[in-house]
Amino acid sequence: MTENAASGPAVELTINGQAVRAERHMTVVEAAWANGVPRVSGVGCLEGVCGSCRILLRRGKEVGVALACETLVEPGIEVLFLPPPAAPRHQYELTDLSDGWDIQARFQEIFPEAARCRHCHGCVRSCPKGIVVEEGVALAVAGHFREAGEAFFECVMCELCDTACPEQIAPAHVGLFCRRITAFFHLRPPNLINRLEEIRQEPPQDGKEKP
Amino acid sequence: MTSSLSYQAALAAYRAGAEPWPLPEPMDPDRLLSAYHPDYLPGSMTTLAVGPNAGEQCQRELAELLQAEAYIDEVDLAGVPVTDTDVLVIGGGGAGCAAALAAAEHGARVLLVTKLRLGDSNTVMAEGGIQAAIEPGDSAQKHMQDTLRAGHHAGDPSLVAALVGDGPDVIRWLIRQGMQFDQTPSGDLHTRPAGGTSAARVVHCRDYTGLEMMRVLREAVTQHRGVEVWEQHSAVELLSNESGQKCVGAVLASRADQTLRIVRARAVILATGGLGRLHLNGFPTSNHLGATGDGLVLAYRMGAKLCELDSFQYHPTGLVNPPLLSGKLVTEGIRAAGALLLNAQGKRFIDELQPRDIVSAAIIRECQEGRGIHPASGGVGVWLDTAGLERRQPGLLGQQFPKLLARARMAGIDPRQEPILVYPTLHYQNGGAVIDAHGATTVPGLYAAGEVAGGIHGRNRIMGNALLEIIGFGRRAGAAAALSGHDRGPKKITLEHVNRARRALALAGLPLARRAPLLFPAYTAPGKDLWKS
Amino acid sequence: MEILNANLLHPRWRVGEHLQRWRDAGGGEALAIGAGNPAAILAAVKEADLRGLGGSGFPVWRKWEAVAHAPADKDKYLVCNGNEDEPGTYKDRLLLEETPHQVIEGAVLAALAVGANRVVFYVNPDLKRSLAALDLALAQWQGSAMQEQASAALGRPMALELVPSSGHYIGGEETAALEWIEGKFPFPRGKPPYPAEYGVHGCPTLVNNVETLANVPAIVRHGAEWFRAQGTGGAGGTKLYSLSGDVLHPGVYELPMGTTLRDMIFVHGGGLLSGKPIKAVFTGGPSNTLLTPDDLDVALDFDSLRERGAALGTGAMIVVSEGTGIVKRVAEYVRFFAHSSCGQCPSCKTGTATISRLLDRIDTGQGTAADMATLETLCAMLPGSGRCHLVNGVVQLLESSFRHFRQEYRQALK
Repeated sequence: MTENAASGPAVELTINGQAVRAERHMTVVEAAWANGVPRVSGVGCLEGVCGSCRILLRRGKEVGVALACETLVEPGIEVLFLPPPAAPRHQYELTDLSDGWDIQARFQEIFPEAARCRHCHGCVRSCPKGIVVEEGVALAVAGHFREAGEAFFECVMCELCDTACPEQIAPAHVGLFCRRITAFFHLRPPNLINRLEEIRQEPPQDGKEKP
Repeated sequence: MTSSLSYQAALAAYRAGAEPWPLPEPMDPDRLLSAYHPDYLPGSMTTLAVGPNAGEQCQRELAELLQAEAYIDEVDLAGVPVTDTDVLVIGGGGAGCAAALAAAEHGARVLLVTKLRLGDSNTVMAEGGIQAAIEPGDSAQKHMQDTLRAGHHAGDPSLVAALVGDGPDVIRWLIRQGMQFDQTPSGDLHTRPAGGTSAARVVHCRDYTGLEMMRVLREAVTQHRGVEVWEQHSAVELLSNESGQKCVGAVLASRADQTLRIVRARAVILATGGLGRLHLNGFPTSNHLGATGDGLVLAYRMGAKLCELDSFQYHPTGLVNPPLLSGKLVTEGIRAAGALLLNAQGKRFIDELQPRDIVSAAIIRECQEGRGIHPASGGVGVWLDTAGLERRQPGLLGQQFPKLLARARMAGIDPRQEPILVYPTLHYQNGGAVIDAHGATTVPGLYAAGEVAGGIHGRNRIMGNALLEIIGFGRRAGAAAALSGHDRGPKKITLEHVNRARRALALAGLPLARRAPLLFPAYTAPGKDLWKS
Repeated sequence: MEILNANLLHPRWRVGEHLQRWRDAGGGEALAIGAGNPAAILAAVKEADLRGLGGSGFPVWRKWEAVAHAPADKDKYLVCNGNEDEPGTYKDRLLLEETPHQVIEGAVLAALAVGANRVVFYVNPDLKRSLAALDLALAQWQGSAMQEQASAALGRPMALELVPSSGHYIGGEETAALEWIEGKFPFPRGKPPYPAEYGVHGCPTLVNNVETLANVPAIVRHGAEWFRAQGTGGAGGTKLYSLSGDVLHPGVYELPMGTTLRDMIFVHGGGLLSGKPIKAVFTGGPSNTLLTPDDLDVALDFDSLRERGAALGTGAMIVVSEGTGIVKRVAEYVRFFAHSSCGQCPSCKTGTATISRLLDRIDTGQGTAADMATLETLCAMLPGSGRCHLVNGVVQLLESSFRHFRQEYRQALK
């Protein structure tokens, strides 16, 4: 029994405009590699957490987006590896946010588009991780940053939601902002703080001096 | 003897089984390792003929790259545009980001380059967590002892002291960057034990610790005014001064259009990670695509001393199927939480929380001796009894291991209902470039941080020390690089070190056909994405 | 050309919101005829082969018939679509500004023909003068005997209402208009059901463009045969062409349907600026196939252009001369459409945004051959994937620019 026979009949599909044949169990990435398809960019972790291998995927009349390393080949599908996302448009540094009391106002300054969500669900449809992106953005706009950040817990920053957003909200970055300020302002673990205090009171030892 | 069971038969036997058998008498660890660990496979090692480590043992596939020819000749550099910066960081994973942020905090202009997308690294895939001795019963001393012991006392004590001493402050720094960690109901950081630790010391963010860390660092770097980032730029060679003794920059190749760029820098930090994608000894790997050992090759050609080139970590619990996830990790955290390893007969065969090299060797022993399980899609493995853990602690998998469940869904498996098939997977390069406590290599102007650096983990790393190292030593290297060499910058950039290495290869009678660094594994559409192919 | 601006734009009708002046010129006569025999209106329009002049070119009578046959147990709507927002198209605004009563009369006739009791004038709020003129005109109309006349002919009260649209380009799509009129964001709906079955609030609804409806009074007054005679070749009626770009006399021209591109540009437009050669024409607007000097003698009507694989669209003609950068122009128009994509269909938003980014890269000298290849693959994958036609239009524009000006793209690459 040959390997081909063991893994079933070959699947025919199109990747970056090139017709290819692949084994049934292959991912789109493997199929592209096996066929020497050009312009296969953005492949990284191969397990769906780096968010780099963004593809446009056509199945019949339906065209959507996905991550290539998580997409198995299917007969007749068309795949295009998308260019990497655009540079981030929203600028902030956490250390500039010194006062937690004006954080809502600062959020609106940094992400003014977030409040303009038109509820088209494009972000939700684009998310390869099944995140309720739109709800997360709404929570952030309402100032519920902890809950908003939690909604984005499994976000891999592929930014497909960003590309899909007609109001240019950059939802993935909104979610990350919410997670970051939650830690920055609220994560104060006693066991860590106690140990840091002990270290501060110790005399300096070898190997701990700063360069 | 070879009574290995098929997947279905073994699953049926597992289901019929009652409570697992008691642990057998442990085998002598040294005997176990020398008989079954892949580092000891016949023909796996060779002796280096040239370079700073000439005469030392080195893994064969790595040696081929270390003793290969460069891509670049002087003639290639004519007319290439030059960019100046204070600190050049090569690598966009956790160590590279930490180094870039630290260097920028110390006032340096920083350029970070990565051949992939910023953040696309092994860091983002780390699951288990990061070690820091913060529990009342724990101490830096215990952390140090655990690290040295698990590394078979091959680690450099001064580096290990620096590592463990940084622990608590690294966690504080990460929180200040906006990273979240799991907490106990009373607000303490939640800690787990790990294989080879004497205390619960691993702090984590469910089983997405690396993802949480990486997305936060990535955002911090892109938002930082002092750091410029070039993605999709591979470092194909370093640059040296006229004597070939000091690193003064690097040559980059754009993946988009294959054009070259020269970057002149006062200091260069290698943060290029590991080499899992070399698939040493034919093993699958848990590593991301870019882990091709580029930093080791560049450093070695520049004259930097390396260490422990014959010691690699095979993580005990890589997935066996489905094929698309073969070699991908199941976090050690699941064993720390109480999941057992069972062979085809449903018997335990090793204390699951022994250091990784011991557990891996034991799994390989079981499979070699016919007590493995063979799925139809090929390969062999033993059970990781997630279902038994779920029976004992209902709900635990869902709360603490969402990534495991998500991944198993792709495989069509519910780990709460059935065990997972696992086999060791190439995971980590224990050694690397020799560094001091500031991350400086033996070559002036050249620093190394993270997996590319060596000397900390000895001959085996314990869970949670990699994430600690990349941040702790990333910051150390960044700070030291920023404060180093406040002269007027390099006057001349040369490839003197390349000429020197080429001469050595010729004198040793080695072929000059092979070129390195590899940049990308050969199976990624050769000739399409690689520079100068 | 004696036919120039003779019907819709005849000075007789261009009296603004002044109802009495319009009536003095013969306005309202068509309503009197139509009110006497509403069934004849549809027949006349069908015989005249009036087309949808908002861009579709679809035979108007088919939509009318569907709505006319829909049960009248609840409200029936007629939406007069004046969202006009395409680059280079500026004809509806002129009609609304200068002949609002002609538009109202046409809409009322159409409402009688299909039995619609709610007539909504849906107008882009950025067209401030159009909006003001129509507002005044409607107020006068509603106080006039014609309002009574229409309701009586319909058999139930006919309500006329002005609804400013959201101003989004996508709001001009007929089902998006329905959403906005219902008080929601103007997202295009999935089809079927079509508006004729399930329109505003689920009621049968007819959506026609301003120019389409403005043609109805003349058809009713003079008959289908007269209307057909206004066109040339096989096409009927006149068309308002929005001529712009590098011509000497840009403007809105009412010309026989089927006028050639050559006459349009060189006779009416006065030729090209500085006597430069013509390079291309972006047709309205401009999400269609590009026309080139080879197309100068093609008749500008729906069917003739379709035969050439092009489209008349809204009748916008953006003429560009030699020296114009096609890549830059296409990039600009695609940016407009990408920005206008409503977001519902990730394929459209992601697809057009990606095309736009790649075009910008090429136009600024950063593009590579790989970017071109990616654009061509996008052209193959995207058509037909959206709820509306936005993404198809972008692909048409891009593909035709590739077809005719590939060399120019190549030269822009790194």
